[in-house]
Amino acid sequence: MTTQRNSRSSFCGRTRREFLWQTGGGFGAAAIASMLAGDGFFGAGAKANEAAPYASPLAAKLPHFAPKAKSVIFLFMYGGPSHIDTFDYKPDMVGMDGKTVDVKTFGRGGHRNQGRIVEPRWKFNQHGECGKWVSTLFPNVANHVDDIAFLHSMTADSPIHGSAMLMMNSGKILSGSPALGSWLNYGLGTVNENLPGFVVMLDPTGGPISGAKNWSSGFMPATYQGTVFRGSGAPILDLAPPKDLADGVQRRLIDSIQQANSQHMAERTGHDDLASRIASYELAFNMQSTAPEAVELAQEDQETLDLYGVNQPRTDDFGRRCLLARRLVERGVRFIQLYSGGSHNDDNWDAHGDLEKNHNFHAGNTDKPIAALLSDLKRRGMLDETLVVWGGEFGRQPTAEYAEGSGRDHNAYGFTMWMAGGGIKGGVSFGTTDELGSQAVDNPMHVRNLHATILHQMGLDPNHLAYFYGGLDQKLVGVEHVEPIHQIIA
Amino acid sequence: MIFRRNDLPQKTLMNINLGSPHARERGARAFATPYRATTFCFRFTLVVLGASLCCSATRAEEASPEASPGKPAREVHFTNDVQPILAKRCYACHGPDVAESGLSFVNREAALSETESGEHAIVPGDIDASLLIARVISTDENERMPPEGEPLKESEVEILRNWITAGAKWQKHWAFEPLTHPEPPQVASEDEHPDANKHANPIDAFIQATLTANGLSANPTADRRTLIRRAYFDLIGLPPSAEEIAAFVNDTSSDAFEQLIERLLAMPQYGERFGRHWLDLVRYGETNSFERDNPKPNVWKYRDYVIKSFNDDKPYDQFVREQLAGDELDEVTTETLIATGYYRLGIWDDEPADPLQARFDELDDIVATTSQVFMGLTINCARCHDHKIDPIPQTDYYSMLAFMADLTSFGHRGDQSSFNQIDVSTPELNRQYEALDQAQRQAEQEETAIEQAGITKMSAEDQRATEGPKREREQVLKKNLKKHLDDDQWSRYEQLWAELKDIQSRRKALPSRESVLGLGRYEPPKPTFVLFRGNPHSPTDEVQPDYPTLFDVDPPTLEPSTTDRGSAGRRRVLADWMTQSDNRLTSRVIVNRVWQYHFGRGIVRSSNNFGQLGTPPTHPELLDWLATYFVENGWKLKDLHRQIMTSRAYQMSSTNTDEGLAVDPNNDFFWRFDPRRLSAEEVRDAVLAVNGSLNKATYGPSFYPKLSAEVLSGQSRPGAGWGNSSEDESNRRSVYIHVKRSLVTPLLEAFDFPEPDRSCEARFMTLQPGQALSMLNSDFVHEQAAKLAKSIDATSVSDDEVAKRAIRAVFARDATDEEVGRAVKLIADLEVNYSLSRDRAVQLYCLTILNWNEFLFLD
Repeated sequence: MTTQRNSRSSFCGRTRREFLWQTGGGFGAAAIASMLAGDGFFGAGAKANEAAPYASPLAAKLPHFAPKAKSVIFLFMYGGPSHIDTFDYKPDMVGMDGKTVDVKTFGRGGHRNQGRIVEPRWKFNQHGECGKWVSTLFPNVANHVDDIAFLHSMTADSPIHGSAMLMMNSGKILSGSPALGSWLNYGLGTVNENLPGFVVMLDPTGGPISGAKNWSSGFMPATYQGTVFRGSGAPILDLAPPKDLADGVQRRLIDSIQQANSQHMAERTGHDDLASRIASYELAFNMQSTAPEAVELAQEDQETLDLYGVNQPRTDDFGRRCLLARRLVERGVRFIQLYSGGSHNDDNWDAHGDLEKNHNFHAGNTDKPIAALLSDLKRRGMLDETLVVWGGEFGRQPTAEYAEGSGRDHNAYGFTMWMAGGGIKGGVSFGTTDELGSQAVDNPMHVRNLHATILHQMGLDPNHLAYFYGGLDQKLVGVEHVEPIHQIIA
Repeated sequence: MIFRRNDLPQKTLMNINLGSPHARERGARAFATPYRATTFCFRFTLVVLGASLCCSATRAEEASPEASPGKPAREVHFTNDVQPILAKRCYACHGPDVAESGLSFVNREAALSETESGEHAIVPGDIDASLLIARVISTDENERMPPEGEPLKESEVEILRNWITAGAKWQKHWAFEPLTHPEPPQVASEDEHPDANKHANPIDAFIQATLTANGLSANPTADRRTLIRRAYFDLIGLPPSAEEIAAFVNDTSSDAFEQLIERLLAMPQYGERFGRHWLDLVRYGETNSFERDNPKPNVWKYRDYVIKSFNDDKPYDQFVREQLAGDELDEVTTETLIATGYYRLGIWDDEPADPLQARFDELDDIVATTSQVFMGLTINCARCHDHKIDPIPQTDYYSMLAFMADLTSFGHRGDQSSFNQIDVSTPELNRQYEALDQAQRQAEQEETAIEQAGITKMSAEDQRATEGPKREREQVLKKNLKKHLDDDQWSRYEQLWAELKDIQSRRKALPSRESVLGLGRYEPPKPTFVLFRGNPHSPTDEVQPDYPTLFDVDPPTLEPSTTDRGSAGRRRVLADWMTQSDNRLTSRVIVNRVWQYHFGRGIVRSSNNFGQLGTPPTHPELLDWLATYFVENGWKLKDLHRQIMTSRAYQMSSTNTDEGLAVDPNNDFFWRFDPRRLSAEEVRDAVLAVNGSLNKATYGPSFYPKLSAEVLSGQSRPGAGWGNSSEDESNRRSVYIHVKRSLVTPLLEAFDFPEPDRSCEARFMTLQPGQALSMLNSDFVHEQAAKLAKSIDATSVSDDEVAKRAIRAVFARDATDEEVGRAVKLIADLEVNYSLSRDRAVQLYCLTILNWNEFLFLD
């Protein structure tokens, strides 16, 4: 996607020179000129523009060092899945159901020092060569434990959805900062300019709370923000012409526009922005064919569709989205975020009421598709270069939220996330929580360490990937030095 | 390190080091002999532990500064050439915050003194003895400075060499020095320069002087069509009509352009255009962000206040004082209270995980915005430690915060209005409301007592029902109450009903009570402490309200507050000081912004940052002249517009010349006027204007443009917090669109409407395919194209007439024969080859015109 800016403006704190230096120039005017010349748009007047510098913020950029992963698929379990009911095995809790214990918790219900234990509701079994204990909520994902690194000692700054979502997505509890996907596109650009570099696919029940704030580019240009991608119809807003227009009309209209624009430009030598805008229409046109092709699942064979659970009632939606994620990775999209769960209450993993009903539902919708994604990426040789991340904005408490029932409140003191592929060790578990899973004990890790690891695997130094805004070199991981989680890096 | 795309592949390989754990080892080198490295290690140990390195320790140098072949060699200038290198590449370790190895480059004395190793970084006139040069050019990675990031470029080393050779002269940072009052330079007399009379405007004298010094000549004046279009969009954000253009083009009076400017400045649309610039700066949003993203009640009144202030040509010093201390002025009015809505515009988390942290985050947002917007200082960088680059110690941050000590949070989760709403109704009106409230309470109490008397006599079932929902209670009462009351009771009951009805109608007859967004309540000021590393749970030394030390002025004397509303009186002190005529930053910062709004870039391009990481001014004397002129003329913005727009510089053509492009491709010297893209609001407003549907109604609550289901589906509750506005309302100008932080209108967002959570000093001006998709396929553009077709009565005229009328409507000029020919061909093609009706084909033709570059760009 070509972005060219008024060369004399300054850009939220930086001059054009700084901006070009930060985003990188390089989409040569000559390249644009030749691309358009093929379509017969350029007369003699355009040639004078060839020497002009030209910048595309989304043009592919060189990483800081050789990357392990080329793309990230972030499976966002919105609402906060319970770690002790999924991947963080707590055998000591067996038989303790209903017992009141002293334990410090902090969730939407505030700070508490005591609570009634809700024993994990699912059985755990060992899997794979590593012998990882996984609950019966994820029977299919359990088959992939030897490819997965589990992070059991995750912590976050907030156990409240609004700020916790912002933290997991942008590293800050306050809104207004760029999302992880924006940072990756800022740092690396995209290798396929006909598709957005940062794609978000939402749950059919709706977006997460705070909506677009979760994929905002913050103080960076909107070019880097996440694009909501739909699996049916036109995948991107305003991508498709109105339905009454036959094939070919859009091209005909663009041709007409480009004719007028070429003539206009011929009278304005050296005004690069005019050429950029002409190019942006060609990119838009290319997107119109590229994006729908990317979501065309008819190209997949039946075995693959079945693997992902497509056309099976429980798994159809998430299965399609996982399959789409793989197809987008194949087409060079840097960062794809899939939300499991949307809207409010039990439409997502936020199990305040009936834990069993909630988690059976959401795990049942996602287990098979996630396992399929890992299998499919692996058999196609893509897992090595694709980093898959699983988790929510926080975990859940070991104790009950209310006097009755199995519902658990939020827990940011300790929770589990996992990563697979993209140069991450398999069959590894790192960090622990206490015997109840109430808080991280060994090797506590912050969301910043997770972000640092993701950037690192993508070839970016988390402590040096910076964007100058408001007088500061802003970084995804914040101002203080943050280490990636080396223990899980292969 | 920030990478550059133009790096060669082998350089990338070098970069590999930087990401590895060795990066810190590489960094562990001091500007001293190697055995002294321990001192240096100390700092990096701190880094590992978490000492912040947030300011530009690691910023790589920017791309080669306009190294054009034809450019004459310039004398090395400390402020423009040397200081930026020192600030960006050296200050993090040898600056105001830390002086590694005993070396600091903050002033000449420190820079020239002996370092801990016994050597000298700079020896004036002696390159060989100056260790600085040896260290920056060293090929030994363990020796070379700076330790992180790319080595200095050869051109930068050359600058340092030349500077040291010439005696290493030092200048204090220009922006931190008092205002100078320069005289316009003498330019060539009329004999030597045919345009000399045009330098009557001092601005042109300054511009011409730098052009001449750099061997450049200014472009001629633009033609009148270009000028009027430029002036219209610039001042009111709307295109001129064909009639307005014709009148101006044919106006033979010598002051035709001056008159045009006067007409535009007098239009209410001027405030809408310039008010929006201000709203960008103060991060204007109409909701709070976070999970609920609730609306801020009455926030639009602040927006109207801003628009009206521009329209009224309110002196800027007054505008500043009202926003910072409108509740503490000698004369407090509803208007000045609305101005304090300034403090309520930011994001606010109604459910913070750490309330104390949240309070300081809220205050930080205000300190950051206030210091950048009014003073061009990034005081916010000193929240956790001394500013790494500018002479702003951490105590300055907290001294600034102490001025704000009486600000409460925006609200509590359970009370999202009383902290931020001020009742501004008249006392008389409030008395009337109170009287009615009291009468109503009495009548209701008596009524309930009678009801209860009857209820106790009812059946158990009925009694239980009256304890349930209101509706059930009323049903029971209606049916059975009379039976259980005596006649006296019943007639009194009926009387009370009538009384209550009367109270209700009297209430309706009163004018409504008015509230405005602002400081509804105050915090009794508590002592302010410096917070260790910015942590609100680690207070250290107490500080008093004080001005930034770089101003070198006496601390304020704070009187006990005399305001009857309960504020502390501190913000008034700050506002008065900030608007003193000799404040070295306030006037410079605002005149620079106004220059930016007219020319597309400020004299200082980094208009929120006049510090040493900002960009040096291209015309420092002009900036100070403008600031002086502005203050002397009563801080009047309209006068500044006149002064700037009547300059020859403003009226120049935007045509490129070979000479200009070769010598000054960045147009640093203003040899041409820079062409520009329309802003998001201008795009939408111009679309509405050219088809005649723009509703120019001014002021009032915001409206909700229609958003598609796809857009709303990104919300957790699709459609929540988004209203329906009538078509008429929806045709209002974009400045009146509801700014919901989590749901920015997509068309505006595509054209770089700023993220509303943070101050935006200058819009991005991208050209990305999302814009093309919006302008080709969005419902909005198709609707407007159809209206355009209708407005030119397309159905009843021939295709060539359609083209002539459409081009006239959109561009206010005659269509060329070629354009008409192409239009006729396109319309016919759409009808014949794509089976579209003529109406539809004509609409699509209209749509294509709205996509022309001629529509989106200004010359």
